[in-house]
Amino acid sequence: MKMFMNLLKSPMFVFGAGLFLLTVAVALLGPVFYNVTLDRVGSQYAEPSWQYWLGTDDLGRDYVSLLILGLRSSLYVGFLAGVIATTVGTLLGIYGGFKGGIIDDLLNMVTNLFIVIPSFVVLILISASFKDGRSLTLIGLIIGCTTWTWSARAVRAQAAAIKSRDHISLARINGDGTLAILVKHILPYLLSYVFMVFILQIASGILSESAISMIGLGPLDTQSLGIILNQAKNNGALGDGVWWAFVPSTVMITVIVFALYLINTSMEGVFNPRLRD
Amino acid sequence: MSNPVFEVENLSLHYLTRFGQKIHAVTDVSFQMKQGEILGIAGESGCGKSTLVNGLMGLFIPPLHPTSGDVRVGGESLMNRTPEDVRENVLSRKVSMIPQGAFNALNPTRKVKDIAADVIAAHEHGTSRAASYERLAERFALIFGKDATKILNSYPIQLTAGERQRSVIGISTLLNPQMVIADEPTSALDVSTQKVVIRMIFDLLDKGIFNSMIFITHELPLLRHVADNIAIMYAGEFVEKGTAEQIVFSPKHPYTKALMGAMLSAEPGQKDRKPTAIEGAPPSLAKTIEGCRFAARCPVAKPECTQKKQDIRMFADRLVRCDYAE
Repeated sequence: MKMFMNLLKSPMFVFGAGLFLLTVAVALLGPVFYNVTLDRVGSQYAEPSWQYWLGTDDLGRDYVSLLILGLRSSLYVGFLAGVIATTVGTLLGIYGGFKGGIIDDLLNMVTNLFIVIPSFVVLILISASFKDGRSLTLIGLIIGCTTWTWSARAVRAQAAAIKSRDHISLARINGDGTLAILVKHILPYLLSYVFMVFILQIASGILSESAISMIGLGPLDTQSLGIILNQAKNNGALGDGVWWAFVPSTVMITVIVFALYLINTSMEGVFNPRLRD
Repeated sequence: MSNPVFEVENLSLHYLTRFGQKIHAVTDVSFQMKQGEILGIAGESGCGKSTLVNGLMGLFIPPLHPTSGDVRVGGESLMNRTPEDVRENVLSRKVSMIPQGAFNALNPTRKVKDIAADVIAAHEHGTSRAASYERLAERFALIFGKDATKILNSYPIQLTAGERQRSVIGISTLLNPQMVIADEPTSALDVSTQKVVIRMIFDLLDKGIFNSMIFITHELPLLRHVADNIAIMYAGEFVEKGTAEQIVFSPKHPYTKALMGAMLSAEPGQKDRKPTAIEGAPPSLAKTIEGCRFAARCPVAKPECTQKKQDIRMFADRLVRCDYAE
C-alpha cells in the first residue's frame, strides 16, 4: 500500500497509468456512449466529418466503431499474452535461478534455444499453419508461448542473486523446503519486478498482435488495430492518401505502448532505489 | 566422558565441482560433546568452519557431499537421510543454527512473528497460527521481556541490529534443539551489543532451552570467555583441541601458536606483544596432501614434515596433530 502511495507521487506513473486507464475505458465503455456498429453507414472512404469523426473504411463502416472494437481485441490479446509469458517465464526463471546446478543449466538451455529462434518468424509460421479457426485467443496463446523467454531470463537473474541472501539460509536451516522458500521468501522480493516484466510483456503482446495482423495473419473472428492496418494496406489506402485509414489506429497502438512503457519506467524508478536521483 | 549428546566420528566432507573435481573441505574431524558443554571452533577464513557446520546438521546441499564418517545426536545418526527427513526431523529440532551475519537473516518483507511461526508450521503440521503466536509470545518474553509483543509485530527493518540478532536466536531455538551451532554470531556487532547477545545465549542455555552449543568464530580471545573447550581448525582438519585455558595460554601446535601470535589481545602478559602475521597461504584442498598441511608455513617444520602424514593424538593433556609439538 505504501509502495502504491509512493508510485502516485511519481508524475510519470500518474500520467502513464492515466493514459492507459483511458484507453481501457474507451475500449470497455465506448459502446455505452457511442453507437458502435459494423454495418455500412456511409460511402467508401468518406472523409472525416461531424457525422463520422474518423471517416469510413472501404466498406463504408464507421472508423470510430472499428477502433473501439479493435482496441478491445488488442488489449485482450496483450493481457492474455502478458499473463502467459509472465507466468511461464517467472515459474521457470525462479525455479532455475534458485535451484542452480544441472536443473538451472537445462532450463537455461531451453530458454536460450527459444531466444535464438526468431520468435516473430515462429509466430508467422504457426499463425499461417492455422487456416481457419485462427481466433483472437489462439493468437494470444501463440504470442505468450513465444515471448516468455525474456521474462524467464530476467527473473532467473534476480532469483539467482537473492538465493544466497542470509534470510534464505535462515529459512533453509529452519527446515523450509524449496517450495516454501520460493513462495514465502523469493517471490515477495520479486513481486514488483515481476509486475514490471508483466507490463512490458503486455506491451510486446500488443505490438506482436498488430504486426502479425497487419501482414494478414491475425485473428479471423474479430476486429483489431492490426486488422484495420491490414485492410488499409490491402486497399492501397496509403498510396491514395487516405490518411484516416491508418493514422488513428497507428496512433492508438503507439499511445497504449507508450503508456505501458511510462508505467514500467516510473515503477523502476520507485522500486529500484539505485536509479533514483 | 559418559553419554555424549553429540558425537562426530571421522567426518570428512567434500565439494564436487562441475568438472568432477573433489575439494576436500573437511577431513577426519572427530569430537564428542556432553550435556551443557560449549565447544569453540576457531580458524582462519576458508579453513572449513562453515562447511563443517553444514555437515554437523546433516544439511548436504549440492555441491557439498559427505565423504565418510558419522554424526550422532543422542545416539541417532544424521547421515544417509533424505533431505525431507533432515528438514522435518533434524533441523531446528535436534540441531539448530544461528547463521553468520544473523542480523541480516530476517526476510524484510515479513513480520518477525510470521517468520518465526513458519518454523513451527514447517515442523508441527496442524498447529494453528494462533497457537503458534501464543507460543512465540511466551518464548520472546523470555528473551525481550516486556518488549516481546512490539518485536514480534515489527518488520525487521524497524529493529536494531542487536534486536534482529536476538530475534534470530529466538527463532533458531524455538523448538528446543539439543544442539545449537552458532556460526560467528557476534562478529559483525559492536562490543556492547556482542555482550548482550552472548549473555542471552548463556541465559537460554541455563534455562535448558538447548543442551549444548558449538560456537564458531575467528576471535580466539572471545572464545576463552565463552567456551569450555576449543578446537583449532586448519585446512579442513582439527589441529589442536583442548580446554579453553590450554589453547589460549599454552598452545602446543605450531599453527595455534602462530594464530595466537597474530592476535591482538588484552590478556595480562600479552598486552605489549606485537601481533605477527602468518606468512604464506593454506594449501589447495583440491589435491591430495601427503604430509602435514601446515608444513609450508610452519616456522619449526622439519624436512620430513612435507612427506609424513600427521595424526591427531594425545599430547600431554590435549589432542594435537603434530609430532614435534612442544
